[in-house]
Amino acid sequence: MAVRRIEVRERVMERNDELAADVRRRLQSHGVPAFNLVSSPGSGKTLLLEKTLQELGRELRMAVVTGDVQTENDAERLARWTDRLVHAVVTGGACHLDARQVGTALADLSLDEVDLLFIENVGNLVCPASWDLGETAKIVVFSVTEGEDKPLKYPKMFRVARYAVLNKVDLLPYVPFDVDKAVAFARQINPELTFFLTSALTGEGMGAWYEFLRTHARARSAF
Amino acid sequence: MSLALEVCRIAEERVGREALSRLKEVGLAVGTDSGIEPDSLEFWLETLLTHPPFAGARLAMEVRHGDDLRVTYLEVEDGGPPD
Repeated sequence: MAVRRIEVRERVMERNDELAADVRRRLQSHGVPAFNLVSSPGSGKTLLLEKTLQELGRELRMAVVTGDVQTENDAERLARWTDRLVHAVVTGGACHLDARQVGTALADLSLDEVDLLFIENVGNLVCPASWDLGETAKIVVFSVTEGEDKPLKYPKMFRVARYAVLNKVDLLPYVPFDVDKAVAFARQINPELTFFLTSALTGEGMGAWYEFLRTHARARSAF
Repeated sequence: MSLALEVCRIAEERVGREALSRLKEVGLAVGTDSGIEPDSLEFWLETLLTHPPFAGARLAMEVRHGDDLRVTYLEVEDGGPPD
């Protein structure tokens, strides 16, 4: 039997990137900033979001698309703090969200009534780095219990993120973590990275985080 | 695994579902900075390519510099006599 070779040269992410571009167009047409929160499991990003919804919920209309591998636990935690849509995507084992899932979640949402969108990705510092979801920016969250060399171990994630949240700083007196070294490692990978040092638990450093979000939401209202 | 499924989707889109059982080889380029672990992707793809609608297509993976992840070619048995 003859074998025919078909030249393809198609990027594996091409379809996802097209869908992400569509999500980005939809968000931009409504002026909605969208932040894709990425982290390893246990960095505290769900608590960070809970506190954010609690603190800013009266002044900003925030929606959340949250991805979880098997449960809707995070969505249930977040739903306690907002009557806005918390859309849970159970990935059924997949290690990341994709643009199709986010696009489907947005179909349930009136974007004219949203000031800020958070996408809480699956806890994983590898796969979500490769998947564009149409977000305004990726925000990488890591914590002082994880080791300051995290940026060197997961360079792609720190390269594609525009902001970094170093969380659980209330634990610094108890763990051997060098903040300066962690920031230097991260900026070695991505010199443009903007840092927030926070403790979602105690509130330390959360003011700068809230102000950052308010600034983006104000930019939305200027549309 | 999702990347492996995406490769399978591209193969189906290019050759048609009915021809997937005649797919003989999948060429794939993986960049060293792509954030992809080649061994893991290879494992998933080889698993998928041995199950219907596929029928044991080979994977020819080329690891390159850069951040590319690309299906480069597909080889399909076309039913005709050899050239």
